[in-house]
Amino acid sequence: MLPILMRKVLILNEKDNIAVCLVELAIGEVIGQDGLNLTIQSLIPRGHKVATAAIAKNEGIIKYGERMGHATTDIKVGEHVHTHNVLGDRLSTEQVV
Amino acid sequence: MSKELTAFERSDGRWGLRNHVLILPLHSAFSATARKIADESDGAVAVSHDWSGEIDGDFDRIVKTISGFAANPNNFATIFITIGTPNELGIIELARKHGLSKAEVLNVAELGSMGKIAEIGLQMANSLLKEAKAVSRVSAPWSAIKLGQECGGSDALSGITANPALGVASDRLVELGASSVLGETTEILGAEHLLAARAITPEIGAQIVETVARYERSINYEGIDMRGAQPSRGNIEGGLTTLEEKSLGAAKKAGSAQFSGVFEFADQVTKPGLYFMDTPGHDTEQLTGYGAGGINVIVFTTGRGTPTGSAIVPTLKVATNTTMADAIPDLIDLNAGTIADGLKTLNDVGGELFDLILEVANGQLTKAEKGLHHEFSLSRMYNTVIR
Repeated sequence: MLPILMRKVLILNEKDNIAVCLVELAIGEVIGQDGLNLTIQSLIPRGHKVATAAIAKNEGIIKYGERMGHATTDIKVGEHVHTHNVLGDRLSTEQVV
Repeated sequence: MSKELTAFERSDGRWGLRNHVLILPLHSAFSATARKIADESDGAVAVSHDWSGEIDGDFDRIVKTISGFAANPNNFATIFITIGTPNELGIIELARKHGLSKAEVLNVAELGSMGKIAEIGLQMANSLLKEAKAVSRVSAPWSAIKLGQECGGSDALSGITANPALGVASDRLVELGASSVLGETTEILGAEHLLAARAITPEIGAQIVETVARYERSINYEGIDMRGAQPSRGNIEGGLTTLEEKSLGAAKKAGSAQFSGVFEFADQVTKPGLYFMDTPGHDTEQLTGYGAGGINVIVFTTGRGTPTGSAIVPTLKVATNTTMADAIPDLIDLNAGTIADGLKTLNDVGGELFDLILEVANGQLTKAEKGLHHEFSLSRMYNTVIR
């Protein structure tokens, strides 16, 4: 395992399909750590999430090993995962289909 | 254990970590006078609020909040300013029942002018402060600590740095015999199944789940779309996408101990162990509810920074990230961002926080206390009805 200082992203749980970016990541940047090999598809600010697996529309987003919402569109590996392509399952008017 | 805990023993066996003289208006119109007395005194504190005696759906909640806050064990004495109505005098009686031994009353109906109230109030406050200074701290058991957990202005690092570090400190305190309380019902929605699984009985687990379900029903009943409010715009900028994600991170404040029970808002926290209290996500309403429940020290984790503090309950701020901690050192007591920087481990920072809670319990002032950040908000569930 790389020390946290040398990592660009943090995987919180092995079940997760996202990782948390510890630094801002630019398009084209390659992440090769902790068994990951992915290319960043869009600018991702520090603290935001990157998809570490392909996520189909309506599929769950898993963080800390738990479901935190669902994809509202297909999400590719290396894409920014945020409010533009994710919705919570609860307390939002658009419900899971 | 490296250091011992010292505190102020109250006549009913409760423990104070501070020895305040609180000036408490029982009607909103006396707020400025309460403030004037506190400012001119040798160190009394005051709060102000907007309740003017309305009897509506929130009456019981407000009475519970004000009486509990007056009786917090961190108060050596409370001076009430009252118009003398039966409801207001009832609050004073309730505070006595909660264990407030020194309750002084400035009755506006009897004394008349505000000038007279301010004059007598100042003498009263200074005489009580003199009495308070003559009382010393004595060695106290760990059960003297009643810790309230809070988070505000969460960011993507909250659930990775400051919240789990607080979890480490909370677990240690609970193991030693202290009370520790997780609140903010809004911010466990989506994580309640994980907390319920840690309840000591299935009934308590079901209560945790029902507390969240009750909240969710009320929001759905009103047809509110929480997007845009929860997570807040600041949370979203910080990288949090959904309320469930925020909750999964927020729940980490409670560490891994078992839950011994569920409290309604501002219930008196009397027994050791880890508990959940049904409080609103609003920072100062929840801080006030904790104070009303007898919680005597609060750890507040924050990603965006906030000055929020209480007049009577020391409130420690733990930063989730180094950028913010460096930007507002006058508000942050401990930086847990060092975990994300790779400089320290979760256990290191959890240990530092435990030590700091002990220092603060023993009298070291928090940044919020030094800055005199004395916020107080009444929590309401209904529209206010004018009598």
